[in-house]
Parts: sequence; structure tokens; C-alpha cells
Amino acid sequence: MSAPLLLLLAWKPFIDPPPHVWDYWYLLPLPLCLGVSIVYKSIKCPSMKQVPREAAVAFLSIISGLLVAAAVLFGLVRFAVG
Amino acid sequence: MSSRRRFRVPAPIVALVNWLVPGAGYLLIGQTARGLTIGLTIVVLFVAGILIGGVHVVDPPTFVRGTSPVASVLVKAPYIGQFLAGALGIFAGWIGPTQPASHARVSDIGTLYTAVAGMLNLMATIDAGYRATLAPADANDDDAQPTHNGPEAA
Repeated sequence: MSAPLLLLLAWKPFIDPPPHVWDYWYLLPLPLCLGVSIVYKSIKCPSMKQVPREAAVAFLSIISGLLVAAAVLFGLVRFAVG
Repeated sequence: MSSRRRFRVPAPIVALVNWLVPGAGYLLIGQTARGLTIGLTIVVLFVAGILIGGVHVVDPPTFVRGTSPVASVLVKAPYIGQFLAGALGIFAGWIGPTQPASHARVSDIGTLYTAVAGMLNLMATIDAGYRATLAPADANDDDAQPTHNGPEAA
């Protein structure tokens, strides 16, 4: 049996973190941002029919903001500090 | 002429129910689609946090005689957010400390997910309580059904 499969078999959900979850750290903010967008827009929108579109726009805005912040911080560390 | 009045659930009850079970306050005031959307999203976020970091990410403060309760709470500040997730947060906080802790960044991400889920539930609780004070026509929701608001009084 391969090592990754053994790790998966030894994994106890809700007790231990999933094996290798941090290998995909860049994907971890996505569900959180999606959830925040859906709940926020469900509260704000007068009609629930508007929520899917509004939540998609909010989700993309948050992700864009995160990417811009990452680029600015990368530039700062790379060129201003280092 | 109909003089039938429909029973309306008081806003504090709606808020309390919504805190305990995310989204349930909206169901009490007849806003089914909103309640299910908000409730399921909050529950999924909270469960995802526990799945990512392990249940030990929900770690309530311990109060020791002789130490300041405020200081005890501030040491475990994320539990303020997790507690706001209602019954889920309380139940996970009861089990969490008995389980092995996860470490470093995975634990941070799990803590973040669960605390954000609780804070979203606070927003939803305030909103559900506010909507419970509005007349059904002012609730301005597609699926507002005040007849679901309880037994009808003569």
C-alpha cells in the first residue's frame, strides 16, 4: 500500500486535520469567501432572487481584493524590504 | 369581514432560536428560502472548519478562581466567535478540549472558519430579530409566508 493511502486510512475525520491539506493552502480561502458572500448578500438583498448574482459579484470582489493585497505585499517584501 | 389575527413570534424568541440553530429564526417568520440559505451556509462553514483543523480548534476558556474572567476569555478569544454559532459552537466546545490538538496553520484556518461562521450567525440573528418586528408586507421577501408564523388566533 502506498504511503498517501495509508495516511488517508489513518485519518480520523473531525479529530485530525486531513493529510496534505496544507499542500492546497491557496484554495482554503475560497469556501470561506463564498460562504461570507452568500450569507452577507442573503441578509442584505430584499429579494432572494437577487442573491446568486450579488453573491457571485461579492465573491469575485473579495478574491480580487485578496489577490491585489498579495501582490502589493509581495512587491513590498521583494523590492522595498529585501 | 375577517377579523382573524395571525400569531407573530416575538422578536427576542426569533433571535434566540436563530442563534441556537442558524437560520431557524427565518423559518419561524416564514422566510424559508432565506433561512435555509443562511443556515446551511453557516453550518457548512463551521463543519468545514472542524474538518480542516480538527474539533480541538473549538477551545472554550477555563475559568480559574483568582484569575480575571475577562483575561480568561481574551486568552481564548476565538471562542467568542465560535460561541456565536449557537448549539454547534457549544457542543463542539464541550467535545473539543478532550481531543488532540492540531498544530500551526491548519489549526489557524480551522479556527478562522468556525469563528467567522459564528460571527455570520450573529449578523443573521440580528437581521432575523429585526425582520420579526416588521409587518409581513414590509418584510419584502419573495417567500414571506406569515401563515407559517404559528397558530391562528380567533
